[in-house]
Amino acid sequence: MQRAVLGGVLLGVLGGILGSFLILRRLSLFGDTVGHSAMLGVVLAALLELPATGTLIGFTVAFGLGVIYLIDRTDLGSDTVLCISLSGSIALGTIGFSYLKGYRGNLLSILFGDILAISNTDLILLFLLLAVTLAWIIISLPEQILLTLNRDLALVKGVPVRNHRYFFIVLLSITIALTIRAVGILLVNGFLVIPAATARLICQQFVPFLATAAGIGALSGVMGMIISGAIDLPSGPSIVLVQLFGFLAVALWCRQG
Amino acid sequence: MHQNLSVSQPIVTVRNLSLMRGEYLAVDNVSFELLSGTHTAIIGPNGAGKSTLIKSILGLVEAHSGKIRLFDGTGKQLTGLKQEVGYIPQKFPFERTFPLTVSELVGLGLNNKQWWYDRKRKRKRIDQALEQVHLTKQAQQKIGTLSGGELKRVLLAYCLVVPRRLLVLDEALAGVDATGEMEFAALLNNLKQEHNWTILEVSHDLDLVSKYCDLVICLNRRLMYQGSPSTTLTPENLLQVYGALVSPRTYQAAEEASAVLSSTCHHHEPSRLPESF
Repeated sequence: MQRAVLGGVLLGVLGGILGSFLILRRLSLFGDTVGHSAMLGVVLAALLELPATGTLIGFTVAFGLGVIYLIDRTDLGSDTVLCISLSGSIALGTIGFSYLKGYRGNLLSILFGDILAISNTDLILLFLLLAVTLAWIIISLPEQILLTLNRDLALVKGVPVRNHRYFFIVLLSITIALTIRAVGILLVNGFLVIPAATARLICQQFVPFLATAAGIGALSGVMGMIISGAIDLPSGPSIVLVQLFGFLAVALWCRQG
Repeated sequence: MHQNLSVSQPIVTVRNLSLMRGEYLAVDNVSFELLSGTHTAIIGPNGAGKSTLIKSILGLVEAHSGKIRLFDGTGKQLTGLKQEVGYIPQKFPFERTFPLTVSELVGLGLNNKQWWYDRKRKRKRIDQALEQVHLTKQAQQKIGTLSGGELKRVLLAYCLVVPRRLLVLDEALAGVDATGEMEFAALLNNLKQEHNWTILEVSHDLDLVSKYCDLVICLNRRLMYQGSPSTTLTPENLLQVYGALVSPRTYQAAEEASAVLSSTCHHHEPSRLPESF
């Protein structure tokens, strides 16, 4: 239980920070696309008899980079490329599952995850990921803000836009892979989008926005786990529901103000 | 107005430059040179390739053929020049709820080191830049609450927060009111004359171009005319460039109109530059 709470907090903080950039860069659908592609990653791991976590991380990173490359290389909108990638990966994943007769029973755990099954290795990975993410943000925050606001201004200033974008996708894809193990494919995007969207409603400045999104992510992780334990509800959905109610409360409060 | 030309060094050299926009030839075999401490305007009708040309100079659009020499390198090497170039784009789309204040946006003009450390100096630079564009009161306002004209002034403050060698403006005065327009132009003139900034702008305001610019480049995919405003902005040339009689006024008349505008704005003091300059 303690591992699960700590995992929820770490995932919440990571989701809040990376989700902040995700929604401002209009890539909200990215989490959903990469999340759903994980089904194909799990199928590949099973077919090739590879370690699940490592394969899932490797696959989501490769898939995420591939999607961003396609967005950059085509004049189609990012939402169009994301939808194409989403459909393609689900189609391949579903066909792959049909070849895994004995593996079908685990489909539910991939769809909904299990935060209580979070391991010490997962926690170490999450700590490392959070440390790298924070270091990267601290070193390059003004550049990250500028390229999020206006790509051309960032390029003229000499910001290595492409490197920053691709590294962001790597961090995001690893976060998605680890979040899927905890809350599943169907809810992974909630961890990324809802805390950041809530913070965006109440913050005027960028650094407080990032901190608030991370704080909401962490707090909802703890509250979700407490509610889940108290009234015996599935933990991942409980966390996402706490995030949702927080968002609705803030949205209504902002509307009244 | 032309006092810097004889002693200036080339800041931008464009040679036989052609640019494509998809399959379409947007700029055809253009050559010109910008000297340091001069103010140049690119004029021409919509679709003439003006924005594409300045984006190419900034390294944002790849040349189809020809060469661009910026300072001592090429446009592609712009990433190494970092703080030397200021840019105000024609369009600045962002969502109204973007969590960023005016002060924060101006501060993004500083480099990473200046941004994180020496907070006092950072604050002072931002305040001075905002004071120059008369937006001190809006410092803590969210950028999404600004009008189009105010946003252009904030972007100018973003450029002013550090000294530049080259300032590139793509229709920077669009949306700015008449008073702000004159202040904006006077400030640019001050940057050029007192601090030797080189200014390159795309403009549709022939009155201001004739009053403040040293060089006018008339573009309609190919370079049609270039020279001083007095020799370039003639009704005959403008008719050729725009394909219609766009301004019945001669250069003289444009000068007179600018003088009238100036006299209505005489109460505004000349802009003072930050101490960091």
